[in-house]
Amino acid sequence: MKTFLIRRAFSSIVTFIAIITIVFILARMTGDPLAELENDPRISPATIAAIKAAFGLDKPLYQQYLNYLLNLLRGDFGYSLHYKEPVMNVIFHRLPYTLALLIPSITLSNYLAYVVGIELGWRRGSRVDSSFMSVSMFIRSTPYFWLAIVFLYVFSVVLGVTPLFGALSPGRKFAWTIDSLLDYLWHYALPFTVLTLRGFLAELIYVRNVTVDILGEDFVVTGLAKGLPEKYVKRRYVARNAMLPITTVLGMRYAFIVDGAILTETVFSYPGTGRLVYEAIFNRDFWLLQGAVVIMAASVIVVNLVIDILYAYLDPRVRYK
Amino acid sequence: MKFSKLSDLRRKLSEFWLVYKRDRAAVVGLAIFLAILAIAIFADYLAPYNPYQRVGLPYQRPSLKHPLGTNDIGQDIFSEVIYGTRASLFIGFLAAISGTLIGTLVGLVSGYYVGKVDEVLMRITDIWLSIPTLLFAIFLVAVIIRAGGAPMFYSVILAIALTSWPPVARLVRSATLSIKERPYIESAIALGSSATRIMFKHIIPNVAPIILVEVVVRTAIAMLTEASLSFLGLGDPTVKSWGTILHFAMIKNALILGLWWWFLPPGIMIAITVMSVTMIGRGLELYFNPRLRKY
Repeated sequence: MKTFLIRRAFSSIVTFIAIITIVFILARMTGDPLAELENDPRISPATIAAIKAAFGLDKPLYQQYLNYLLNLLRGDFGYSLHYKEPVMNVIFHRLPYTLALLIPSITLSNYLAYVVGIELGWRRGSRVDSSFMSVSMFIRSTPYFWLAIVFLYVFSVVLGVTPLFGALSPGRKFAWTIDSLLDYLWHYALPFTVLTLRGFLAELIYVRNVTVDILGEDFVVTGLAKGLPEKYVKRRYVARNAMLPITTVLGMRYAFIVDGAILTETVFSYPGTGRLVYEAIFNRDFWLLQGAVVIMAASVIVVNLVIDILYAYLDPRVRYK
Repeated sequence: MKFSKLSDLRRKLSEFWLVYKRDRAAVVGLAIFLAILAIAIFADYLAPYNPYQRVGLPYQRPSLKHPLGTNDIGQDIFSEVIYGTRASLFIGFLAAISGTLIGTLVGLVSGYYVGKVDEVLMRITDIWLSIPTLLFAIFLVAVIIRAGGAPMFYSVILAIALTSWPPVARLVRSATLSIKERPYIESAIALGSSATRIMFKHIIPNVAPIILVEVVVRTAIAMLTEASLSFLGLGDPTVKSWGTILHFAMIKNALILGLWWWFLPPGIMIAITVMSVTMIGRGLELYFNPRLRKY
């Protein structure tokens, strides 16, 4: 287990360095990092030169790369042109909102997909099964943001029971008082529902198909043939064996939910890191975008690491390979 | 596959149809898709107005003259949605083809030359896979725009292609690994065929079914990605795709004003199209992989 952990942690670090290198190459390949400033007629060439010297942009490329790595390690992601603040500060103000939205949402949707998917697989071919499958197929085909738009329209515009935007009512600041928490939850309800619902329905098909595959295995037939109660076979034989493939795929969702977060937060004007990506595009704030990409990629790597460790815990074969 | 005569092709097709038609969802999907394709092809005849021209007062409600009303600058939304079919299908399909092409090449080379090359390529594939697709595509479009290298229309296609190849590479690689062990490849090597010839003459035809299914599946995913990128404002604002229409609907407050005729139809079209393409993909998979057919 210990060698597995070390090997796995090492490969995570390699992946992270590879990703930030890709980001560096892409960002530098495409021209001058100060392009935004140079196009501004209010800034004189002398000032630009001074900025270049101050940030080491006049040095050779490999040295710039080393500086970039060191700066990232120190948590220095550059300066947001729109917010007039270090990128790191902007991101850290927003990160808690996104994490509080995503982690419960994925956990709940994964849990639901697992429980309901096994039940549907067990009752394959029934009416419940086929109707769930149809709904699931349809929801999988809708873009995240459009589902969010429909929810926002129905609940906030037509029914008027949920707020139109934001994570807190205008003028409010987050605090640990009941009043403030209720306001927060009121704003939390819709984005949470959209993310959870789409995640749950999109993964349902996968869990159900894995279950159907397992039901074709000999040990299930044997279990039933020797007279074990159905419930026992379902829980001990089927659900347990479905755990492994499902952990990998549902685990990957933690990575791809980032995409969902960008779209959902944009529609609900939710002040998280996802919406930050949209704002960075809108304001042409390249350094903010770069910072958000690196932070999100890093969190995905951490989650993948945790899932692999979990996987090794569930399946001893992985540990001793 | 080589067809000596036209009748040969016809026989193959009727054989295919015999299996394909047994999956009812796949048939329905095909019918819907053909209808949508027809809309895209005959957009000039179906749309009552030119969607790029102002044809009435802005913000009109649906009426007989404008079935889905008009947008903020007085363009006919119904015509926009019809023309959007063309752009959305075209971008989705082109991006899917390009992505599959990259993936096939990587997978082929990686599966054929085991060892160092394989290890490096698969390592890159894994790293690529661990970056969230949309996030990566957003970054790529932003980079391409900043560089001013490609017109916005193609930068979206390029970004989707560059982010969607890793799963294809993995599939093609594992197929290549098993095909490579077959005796006829050994004979080809013994006869002195070059590596490129073996890959393109003997391996590609055998992975063709996988590639075909992947193009279809990737088209569905690429259309969703295109819609998302355009919605976020990274698409070409001068080309009307369903995603772009939704982008303008959002920034012009269609949602808060309750103009459902503006933001519902494009989304419904996306959902129906993506679903039909997915169903076709499943049908093709059943055809090419008989083991799946028992359910």
